[in-house]
Amino acid sequence: MSIKEEKVRYVARLARIKLTDEEVSLFSRQLDGILGYVDKLNQKLGEQSRTPPTNHPHTASNPFRADEVKPSLKSEAALANAPQKRGDFFKVPRIIEE
Amino acid sequence: MDNLYSLTAGELLSLLDKKSVKPEEIIESVYSRAQSVDKKIKGYIHLDKEKALDQGKSLPAAGRLRGIPVAIKDNICVEGELTTCASKILRGFKPPYNATVIEKLKSEGAIICGRTNMDEFAFGSSCENSSYYPTLNPWDTGRIPGGSSGGSAAVVSADEAIMALGSDTGGSIRQPASLCGVVGMKPTYGRVSRYGLIAFASSLDQIGPLTKDVKDAALLLGVIAGYDGKDSTSVNIPVPDYLGYLKNDVKGMKIGIPKEYFVSGMDKEVEGSVKEAIALLKGKGAQIVDVSLPHTEYAVAVYYILATAEASSNLARFDGIQYGYRCADPENLLDLYERTRGEGFGAEAKRRIILGTYVLSSGYYDAYYLKAQKVRTLIKNDFERVFESGCDCILTPTSPTPAFKIGERVLDPLSMYLSDIFTISVNLAGVPGLSIPCGFTKNGLPIGMQLIGNFFKEEKLFRIAYTYESNTDWHKRSPGL
Repeated sequence: MSIKEEKVRYVARLARIKLTDEEVSLFSRQLDGILGYVDKLNQKLGEQSRTPPTNHPHTASNPFRADEVKPSLKSEAALANAPQKRGDFFKVPRIIEE
Repeated sequence: MDNLYSLTAGELLSLLDKKSVKPEEIIESVYSRAQSVDKKIKGYIHLDKEKALDQGKSLPAAGRLRGIPVAIKDNICVEGELTTCASKILRGFKPPYNATVIEKLKSEGAIICGRTNMDEFAFGSSCENSSYYPTLNPWDTGRIPGGSSGGSAAVVSADEAIMALGSDTGGSIRQPASLCGVVGMKPTYGRVSRYGLIAFASSLDQIGPLTKDVKDAALLLGVIAGYDGKDSTSVNIPVPDYLGYLKNDVKGMKIGIPKEYFVSGMDKEVEGSVKEAIALLKGKGAQIVDVSLPHTEYAVAVYYILATAEASSNLARFDGIQYGYRCADPENLLDLYERTRGEGFGAEAKRRIILGTYVLSSGYYDAYYLKAQKVRTLIKNDFERVFESGCDCILTPTSPTPAFKIGERVLDPLSMYLSDIFTISVNLAGVPGLSIPCGFTKNGLPIGMQLIGNFFKEEKLFRIAYTYESNTDWHKRSPGL
């Protein structure tokens, strides 16, 4: 499976990243090389229908904590790093069209 | 007396105990050293002597690291201090809370002495992907220090910090430790809390120590390890007294040598040094056995599918809304997201997000992501089989080559990825790995070997490493700066 420039543009849109034409062309070539390497090994290994997937090194069970009210981040601290704010809110461009 | 900056934490703590040195003298010594050599090394991003001296004035009455300056990789949150992952997208970010490891360091009296350079978001093996500047190898400033914790490894090697914290997702502590001639350990997944570590690949990331010797690594891991309710993946197993395991004795310990890590075409000097180290441990009574980790060749491919998939998800949070960089004059919300991320991320971050998004996208998920998760099981099973056969540790080179030249692999991402070929499996399996200096090339570049242990058996690695170190003097050499 190779990754065409058109595909790179599509995935970049999904990932919400604006790429320049140069980046699209460069990434398309580089990702082709990386995926080619992965594909070659995939073929050599063959189908792994009976192997269970690992998504975490330990057998995970969901840890629960007591549902208690505790102090949380003050809005002043939460807003301290905001690129733009107004009052107690993060300021963003208009989301709903008029 | 030697310059204070050149001593280990263990040596400084005994001087502090005897009251023959004061914490502020150590801080002064480390800062004057950093001031004179960091122009050449560029290991630090942020360094604030006044803040360090302030911390020195209000130390707890007792503490396992009381008065010891510790450098912190730039992806670990320190409350109110710039923490940027060496990325433009986090320029100016000051976290509203401390990472758990920082709380632990402070409660033991450590002094946070500066923030070290790294590949942006820990994406890289050379420190060349920093958005600030590359860090240079103290042993040869024409070469890279390794990465992504290259700044932490370089400042410890150059005596600009007594010890340092790094993070390791595929080798990011061990590989730079090896290339800079220091000790570095990636603990078992779940041994150290990841709370406050800016996430790269959540099923692989661990914080760990970079130090001048094995004793300091045992000391620092003992401080930062332990269960934390704020990290749902941290594991509730008591932390052993690692220092108590530092004995110069490996009699009867079984060390496995995996044939897949000693292949034709590998660097002759690396191979020679590691084989001499094996012979030394055998001479001290260790039992050396041949073992096999048959799925080793798949590890890099599996890693770059899983790690980029997890990264693409973790880095979705950098959107220009709540913190960090925001593009100028966005036309609408979509434009704000796309330009903020297009302008704020460096090339490697974009490449990895694109790859990760691709392998998770509809139609490719089964062929890449699910397949990689299955092969991860096979890789983990390989390690479990070796440890079930009675091995106390697996010994390998840490990196297939010594430090490479600046720029050598920048244009070929795959060649850069392959420089982690010996360290990546350890993260996929979740077991601990330690790199320790085991020689030098004829050009004077450090060579490191890796000791890999079973889950939560860090103490065995410390014991073997301590025995090796007690019978060699590689760790006593320092770069002529």
